[in-house]
Amino acid sequence: MAEFNANLRGVGSVSVIDVKGYLDAHTAPELENVFNRLVDLKQYQVVVNFDDLKYISSAGLGVFMAYVETMRENQGDIKFSNMKENVYNIFDLLGFPILYEFFKEENEAVKKFSDPAKS
Amino acid sequence: MKPTDNNAALRNYSALVDFSNLINSSLDINFTLNNILLTCFGKFHTTKGLIALLNNERIFEVQAYKGFSEQVLLSFPLLKADDYDSNEKLADFITSNKLQVYQEIKSSEGLKGLIILGARLTSKSYDDSDISFLRTIVNVGATAIENCLAVDKLKNVNRNLDSKVNQLSSLFDLGKEFSGVLQIEQICKLLVYSLIGQMLVSKYAVVSFSGGAIIFLENRFDEIQIRAALKVCSKDCFQKVYNRNELTDELKSIAEAGVDLIVPMQIKNETKGLILLGKRKNELAYSKSDIEFVSSVGSLAIISIENARLFKETLEKQRLEKDLETARNIQNNLLPKFIPTFSNFEIAAFNKSAKMVGGDYYDIIKLDEDQVLIAIADVSGKGVPAALLMANIQAFLKSICKMKLPLAEATNLLNDLVAENTSMGSFITFFWGIINNENMELTFVNAGHNPPLLIRNNRITKLKKGGMILGVMPTVVPYLSDTIKLESGDAVVLFTDGITEAMNVKWEEYSDDKLEYLTLQNSAMDSIQLLDEIKTSVELFTIGAEQSDDITCMIVKVI
Repeated sequence: MAEFNANLRGVGSVSVIDVKGYLDAHTAPELENVFNRLVDLKQYQVVVNFDDLKYISSAGLGVFMAYVETMRENQGDIKFSNMKENVYNIFDLLGFPILYEFFKEENEAVKKFSDPAKS
Repeated sequence: MKPTDNNAALRNYSALVDFSNLINSSLDINFTLNNILLTCFGKFHTTKGLIALLNNERIFEVQAYKGFSEQVLLSFPLLKADDYDSNEKLADFITSNKLQVYQEIKSSEGLKGLIILGARLTSKSYDDSDISFLRTIVNVGATAIENCLAVDKLKNVNRNLDSKVNQLSSLFDLGKEFSGVLQIEQICKLLVYSLIGQMLVSKYAVVSFSGGAIIFLENRFDEIQIRAALKVCSKDCFQKVYNRNELTDELKSIAEAGVDLIVPMQIKNETKGLILLGKRKNELAYSKSDIEFVSSVGSLAIISIENARLFKETLEKQRLEKDLETARNIQNNLLPKFIPTFSNFEIAAFNKSAKMVGGDYYDIIKLDEDQVLIAIADVSGKGVPAALLMANIQAFLKSICKMKLPLAEATNLLNDLVAENTSMGSFITFFWGIINNENMELTFVNAGHNPPLLIRNNRITKLKKGGMILGVMPTVVPYLSDTIKLESGDAVVLFTDGITEAMNVKWEEYSDDKLEYLTLQNSAMDSIQLLDEIKTSVELFTIGAEQSDDITCMIVKVI
């Protein structure tokens, strides 16, 4: 079975999720749990760091769609960083770039929350 | 040739080389068109120009422009490739916007577009050499444009292909996942994640039809609104996919609830559920390929949902069967475990339930050294309710025995008890008797039961005396009893209608006649032999048919 890991850490007021391994229909519930925890904790500013993610399926992408509205309704957002090209291609293919912000580095994404004017 | 002419030709030539190098260095259509315009501007000293290219419908579409307001652009006429140059609208557009020349952009594949340029700042008009230079620029440009378009097209094809590959791998992924999951909630979660990830939607619902009920397995619409909207439509409405523009008439209220797409989930052409999707976040409509994907995922999911449901049902059934088995064990314990023996007669009995638990009952209770009570009963109905009533009568009977009442009086009491304790419509046919080993008398009361057969000297007497069936109403007319003297060689056959009404595969009944004939033929046998004979005969008769009723039989044989 493909392995997946989602780790949560705080950078200032922003929550960073480090995703690792294979995010597919099978492992999506794990990521969902992390998002549920964030909603429970009222942490709505989220950066997902894809540095160690090897593969993502459309079910994996679905998790981000499922939570982005909740985050935005509460003045937060889900932003993506450190995405490998093969992973980004999937996001791109499904039209995510018009709905989400992608950053090369995690700290750029984190900064965007504290200083939304700069891009 | 004058030197100035030479110089001009040289300038033109070097400009062309530069231009050619530049535009062939890029495959970006905007860059290419922009540069064609800029080159023309520089060469002809004009400040206005546009390039319109033919689209798939062979209609001109402005792709690049300079020096125009957007307002002007909106007034660009609808021109078709076939007859644009005879179209007055083009001439109108050119004169009203102070334009001067237009030139076709042609490649080896034919007409690609038009370039239209404004008046020159020097207020000189375009002369022949200008036009021929423009033609050259456009010719060089046409190849570059074609390359750009071809690359764009290829990119598009590639992207579509990627997108298909992605959908396929999603399907593959889900197929694998679904097969391993037997919980409906989890299947729906997987289904929904795939749908929202692939389609970019945040409003969705998964609905299943169970009988007449609509069950929401997942829902992000307003439940009350969508439920009301779905209720209006019959299940038969949803035999096909509905895109937003097809949600009319009775489906209109569904669209009002925010649904853009309805995809039925079918098994063998029967709609078992629906996927409802809202507006896509990227504002795109659902394409044919999107709908194909949703349908495929839906088909996969509904099979798994159905499997999960069946699995759950099987588990429940197994539990119920276990309960019934327990009930059956309890019931078996209610029947006599051993049969008392007497010096002057012998008793044999047999019972077989049609279902796990049944409504037939018999009992043999030794009252004292010389007396034994025998009873047989058939409770109306079958299964658990009949078995419960049977347990009741067994308890009453055991208690009444202890009271040592005359049998007819005891029957009055028994009927009162049963009538009090049964609901409408339940009743019991009942026969009981007491045999005295000393004087060999049989006293009996028959409360509406199939009359037992007394076989003596190859003749049958039916033991009918008694009263009405038990449990219909409290005793009004007292039961009557009868007493007969048993003789050596007599056989008494007690049975329930499960024997005489046993069905064979041709839906024929075993019948009273057959039972009477059989017992007459074999009246010399001892009780166990006769019982076996009857059992075997019924079994042979009903071979291949399902047992429809409980079967009970008891034989008393006077030695």
